[in-house]
Amino acid sequence: MAPLVPSQEELQRRRIIGINAETVTNIPSTDFPGHWPGESHGWAVDEFQKVEFHRNDQFEASFSLIGLDASVANAFRRILMAEIPTIAIEDVFIHNNTSVIQDEVLAQRLGLIPLKGSVEGINWMQWFKKATEEGGEEDGPCDFNTIVLHLDMECYKNEHAAKDEQDPRKLYTNAHVYAKDLMFTPVGRQEQYFVGDGAIAPVNPDILIAKMRPGQAIQMELHCQKGIGADHAKFSPVATASYRLLPDIKIERPIIGDDAKKFAKCFPKGVIGLEPVTSAEAAQRGSGYEGHSGEQKAVVKDAFSDTVSRECLRHDEFKDKVKLGRVRDHFIFNVESTGQFDSDVLFLEAVKVLKLKCNRWKRGLTDLMA
Amino acid sequence: MPESVHSQDPDQSMVDAEQPEQEVVSNDPILEERQVVVLPGATDTAASFQFEGEGHTMGNALRYAIMKNPAVEFCGYTIPHPSDAKMHVRIQTTDSTTALEALEKGFNDLMDLCDVVTEKFTSARDQFNAESGNRMEV
Amino acid sequence: MSRETYQVPSMGTQNTFDAQGGGYASAMAIDSPSVVYLCGECSARVPLKRGDQIRCKDCGHRVLYKERTKRMVQFQAR
Repeated sequence: MAPLVPSQEELQRRRIIGINAETVTNIPSTDFPGHWPGESHGWAVDEFQKVEFHRNDQFEASFSLIGLDASVANAFRRILMAEIPTIAIEDVFIHNNTSVIQDEVLAQRLGLIPLKGSVEGINWMQWFKKATEEGGEEDGPCDFNTIVLHLDMECYKNEHAAKDEQDPRKLYTNAHVYAKDLMFTPVGRQEQYFVGDGAIAPVNPDILIAKMRPGQAIQMELHCQKGIGADHAKFSPVATASYRLLPDIKIERPIIGDDAKKFAKCFPKGVIGLEPVTSAEAAQRGSGYEGHSGEQKAVVKDAFSDTVSRECLRHDEFKDKVKLGRVRDHFIFNVESTGQFDSDVLFLEAVKVLKLKCNRWKRGLTDLMA
Repeated sequence: MPESVHSQDPDQSMVDAEQPEQEVVSNDPILEERQVVVLPGATDTAASFQFEGEGHTMGNALRYAIMKNPAVEFCGYTIPHPSDAKMHVRIQTTDSTTALEALEKGFNDLMDLCDVVTEKFTSARDQFNAESGNRMEV
Repeated sequence: MSRETYQVPSMGTQNTFDAQGGGYASAMAIDSPSVVYLCGECSARVPLKRGDQIRCKDCGHRVLYKERTKRMVQFQAR
């Protein structure tokens, strides 16, 4: 027996998650074999329909993935935040720090500074294997697992400053220590990978690390290693990686005149538009437009920009006239990179990581087969 | 089911003894050290697998992929305790396949999906970049 | 026993605890290294030897601080 194929209306109904004033409806995915009698719902990659881009800047991208289940979209999001490796300062060797900021606080601050460098070089870098409790031995620092930065600053009086100068940055030299003062010293093969624009450097040169006064100094060596966000947030390559479902607004019965204006105000600008009721609509009996020809009616212009605040559901005059929802399989992603990788590359990396993990576990299964 | 528990035993000890370090080493030693174990009480068509170092990321996506298999009667995943990094997947199938095959198909399906997503993502991006580039020139 | 008449004790001689303590201090006073402190008032570097008055040579302030250790300290950036 050929599997039943549900009607387009039925499929569309299943795609929408209902949003009421206080509750949600039609929440779980039902696209599994055996859920709907007679329908197939077996695995098919062509269920993934398409990708739509909304924005693609170097460090911020927004795009829609359409035709995906939440479990897979969520896997991509989680991988973006926690499982794409980056480089960050891990070990801090303080030779001198007479500034007012404490050693451990300074070390923690330094760790959080996002670093950039040649992507090829970062991919070439390997994990720094730490000593484990079970007696695993630590790798020594090598050119392929450790990048060395130096911070060597001393503050002293600026002899040429004006007598009545108040600004400590002019009164003293090196009163402020910035991320740009981190000096990269390539060793071994790092000299080939991290050259020119590919050199290891902070993404944002103007991050303030510490403030000093004359006589104070900071001297330290910083070891950067490769790591993932699951281990520590400083390794996360994204500032934000989030998705939301596409909002869906259905006006079920006409909203006309002053009501239409009030209705539009319940939504962000541009979501609801006002259009005059056409004479054809007014002529149609039972449409709700009879006798309202030429008046303004509310129409949905741009559901994408809605925030689904549910404000319109608080007003009695719109009761039963509007239905809010979200499209179950339309994920609007927003990815903001911290600067080590381009935002679109990050998403591709996330997909690659998921595939790599699957592949790795699949290989592990061959031992179970024996 | 004492019989099934017993029959599974040699399998498990073999996994424990032989898996580490003998696999083909990929570029990710951290990933390579982890292992899969079949939990006691497994039969051919019903088994629980334990994945070391995995979480909801893989667990939920894998559960979805396996549930999409018509020969699978039940699939669920759990992280029994949040403080040890272990993820369990339970699979029960009809007689037409085995739990292990269903698991492998799950991985294959997810990998196929990754390929499709990558392909559609890159082409959509390239098209978007080309269009916005044109707009800037005008 | 006065400081001048003190002799370095050898294993055989019987010394009181008091004599030992005094002798130790006087022996150190000759070649004790000077330690640099920082004045709490004017931040001047004040080298002091054992027995020196605890006082800044520039401003006369009586609160002195130790300098930071010269040893390297290691931290994890976490």
